[in-house]
Amino acid sequence: MGSSTTAGAPDRSTRTVRRSRLSDLVDSERSLGYLLVAPVVLLLLVLVAYPFSVAIGYALSDRTLADPGVFVGLENFVLLWESSIYRQTLRNTFIFTAGSVAIRLVLGVGLALLLNESFRFRRAVRAAILLPWIVPTVLGTMAWLWMFNPNFSVLNYILVQSGLMEHGFNWLTDPDLALFSVLLVNAWRGVPFMAITVLAGLQAIPHDLYDASAIDGAGKFQRFRYVTLPLVMPVLLTALVLSIIWTFSDFGIVYGLTKGGPMNATHVLATLSYQTGLASGNIGEGAAISLTMLPVLLVLIIWQLRRIRRSTVA
Amino acid sequence: MTQDRSQAHVSRRKLLAGAAAAPALSLATPSIAQGTLKGTKLTILAGQWYVPQTNTLLDQLAADLARDSGMEIRVERFAGDELMTKTASVIGTGRGADLAVGVEFDTYVYAAKLNDVTDLADEVGKNYGGWMDAAKAASMVGGRWKSLPIGQAPAAWNWRTDMFRAAGVDKFPDTFAGLLDAAKKLHAKGTPIGMTLGHASGDGRSTNYPVLWAFGGKEFEADGRTVAINSPGTLAAVEWYKEIYQYFIPGTTAWLDPDNNQAFLASKVSATVNVNTIYLASRAAAATDAARKNIVDNMDHANWPSGPAGRFANYNINVWLPFASSPNKAGQREFLKAWYSRTFLPKWTKVGQSYFIPQLAGFDSEDVWPEDPKLKIFRDLNKINRLPGYGGPPTPVAAEAVNKYILVDMFAKACTGQLTPRDAVAWAEKEYQQIARRRSRT
Repeated sequence: MGSSTTAGAPDRSTRTVRRSRLSDLVDSERSLGYLLVAPVVLLLLVLVAYPFSVAIGYALSDRTLADPGVFVGLENFVLLWESSIYRQTLRNTFIFTAGSVAIRLVLGVGLALLLNESFRFRRAVRAAILLPWIVPTVLGTMAWLWMFNPNFSVLNYILVQSGLMEHGFNWLTDPDLALFSVLLVNAWRGVPFMAITVLAGLQAIPHDLYDASAIDGAGKFQRFRYVTLPLVMPVLLTALVLSIIWTFSDFGIVYGLTKGGPMNATHVLATLSYQTGLASGNIGEGAAISLTMLPVLLVLIIWQLRRIRRSTVA
Repeated sequence: MTQDRSQAHVSRRKLLAGAAAAPALSLATPSIAQGTLKGTKLTILAGQWYVPQTNTLLDQLAADLARDSGMEIRVERFAGDELMTKTASVIGTGRGADLAVGVEFDTYVYAAKLNDVTDLADEVGKNYGGWMDAAKAASMVGGRWKSLPIGQAPAAWNWRTDMFRAAGVDKFPDTFAGLLDAAKKLHAKGTPIGMTLGHASGDGRSTNYPVLWAFGGKEFEADGRTVAINSPGTLAAVEWYKEIYQYFIPGTTAWLDPDNNQAFLASKVSATVNVNTIYLASRAAAATDAARKNIVDNMDHANWPSGPAGRFANYNINVWLPFASSPNKAGQREFLKAWYSRTFLPKWTKVGQSYFIPQLAGFDSEDVWPEDPKLKIFRDLNKINRLPGYGGPPTPVAAEAVNKYILVDMFAKACTGQLTPRDAVAWAEKEYQQIARRRSRT
C-alpha cells in the first residue's frame, strides 16, 4: 500500500534516516570542519593549484601559442641559463627586489614612527600617505615617466634651474641609474603599505610598556630597541615578506617605464617572461622564466606560514 | 579630423555597382546569395588605426555586409597589447573570434591555426596588379597564404627644413655619409637629430633595421634559420651608428615610442624616423595652435638615405588572420571579399592619407594617394619595405629577436661604449643563435 502512494519519493522513515545522517555529519566537529573548508579548498584548487600545475607543465615543454609541444624536461631552464639576457635579468631582479624592499623598510618604518606621533592634521596626512598605494600602477608610472623623461624631465629641470647641476641625471638612459630609477618608483609605491601596516602594529603596543620603560630610565632609542621593535616585529616581518613577493613579481612599473631597456638594464623576470611567452609566443620558455621566481618565493612563503602557525599556536 | 559620413558609407549595393564597372569582377561579385548567411555570426578583433576614418570605414563595411548578408557582425576593438593577448587567447582556446587584425609575425606563429586563403589572395593580387614582395613575405607560409595583408604604415625621416637650412644643409641627405655629415652640422648648431635606440616596439625596429640592411647586414640566411648577423656589413652599420650617435640628442637609448614624437614636436630634434603621425596631428591642430603651424610649415618627410647595399625601410604589415577555429568560414571569406573589393579598398586607402598603404603594385597608378606634397614620399617608401628576418622570412625566431630588441641593443651597446662594435655584433650573434636553437625544437 505504502509503495503505491510513495512511488518516486522517500517515505518518512527514509527521510528521517537521511536527516539524521546529515545531522550527524554537521554535529561531528571533524566533518563540519571539512565541510566548511571545502569551498575554499575548491576555489584554491581551481584558481591556484590548477593554473600553477599548468604553468609547471608548460615550463617543462616546448609549447608555443600555436603548438602544444612535447615534454622537454629541464631543457628550457638549461637553455635559459646560456642566455646573457636571462642572466642579466636574474641579476636585475634581485637588485630590484633588494633595493626596493630596503627603501620600503627604512622609509616605511620611519614614516610609521612619525605617523604614530601626535600632530595637527594627523588623520589627513595618514590618508594622503596612502595615495601612491591607491593610485593605479599605470597612472603612477606615467607620472614618473614624465619626471624621468630623457628630454623633458621635470626633476632635471628643477636641478638645472636651481643651479645644482648643469645637465641633470640620465634617469632612464644610464643603465645603472635606470635600474635605480625603476626600483625607486617601485619603492615609492610600496612605502605606504609598509608604513600603514607597521603603524597598525605600533598602535597595538600598550602604552603602559612605554611608561614602565621610561620609569626604568630608558631613552628614546632604548624604548624603540627593547619595546617597539620586538613587539612590532611580527607585523613588520609579514609586511616584509609580502613586499618581497610583490616586488619580485612586479611587471607594470618596469614595463611602463622602460620595457626592460636600455640594453636590458632594467629587465626583470616578469617583463622578460611576458616578452618571451606572450609577445613572442614561446609559452614554454616564458613559463620557465616566470617559474625561476618559484624557489625564492616558495622559501619565503613556507617560512612565513610556519611563523604564522607558530604564533597562532603560541 | 572630422568624419565625412557620406564618404564613409559603403553600401553593398554601391559595392556591387562599382564591381560591375570594374575590369575584374570576382571580388566584388557576391559569391553567395543574399541572406544565405542569415543567422550566422562573425566576430572581428581589431585595434585602433591612427586615422579615425579608416576605423569608421571598417565599422561601416561590417554594418553594410551585416545588413545585406543577414550575418551578425561584431567588431571588437582592443588597445595596444590587448589585441595581441586576445588573439593569443582565441588561438589557444579556439573560441572568441573569426577574424583578427594581426601583424606579419602572427602569420608564422599561428600558421597551423589559420585558414588557407590562397585563392582569395590570388584573386586580390590579380585585381590590383599583384602583391609586393613584402606582402608575400608577411602572409605566405610554405607557399600558401595563411593571412591577407591589410597595409603598412611607412616610417620616413621627419626633418625640419628650417633647422637643416640654418646648419647649411639644403636638402635631406641621400647617403649615410651625408647624414652623418649633416648630423655633425646640426649638432654644432644646437639642433641635433635623434634615432630611437630604446625598447620602443614600433620605432625601435623601423629606425634600426634599415641601417643594418643599407650596409649589407642581415639577420639570417634565406633558410630563415641560419644566423648571419656577424658579417662585415653588420659591423659597418654598427660603426656608422657609433659615430653618428655622438651627435644625437642625449637620451635616445631610453626612448620609447612617444619620445621621438615629443622631442620633434618640441623642436628639440631636427630629424627623427617616424610614421606620418607627427605631421598629421600637427596639421590637424595648426589652425588653432601657432606652434603646431610652425612645425607643419617647417617640416617635411624624406626617404631613407642609400647605403652601400641599397635603400631600405621597415615597418610592420597588418594582416587579416582568418582563424581556422571559426565555425563561420563562409562569413569569414565574405568579409574578406568585401574588404578587398574595388569599391572599398581604394577608398579606405585614400582616407588613410598614406598612414596605411596596402602592398599592391597596381595602387601605384590608382587614385589613392594624398594631395598634400609633404606626404608624397610615402608612395616611394611603400616600395622599399623589408621585414625582420631578412634574408629569410619573418619567422617566429625573427619575431622573438624583434621582441627582445636584439638588433636595437646591439647598436645601443656599441653606441654607448658598453661593448666595442665587434663585441656588440658577437653578442647579438650569440643571442640570435640561442633563440634559433631554442626555436628549432618546435
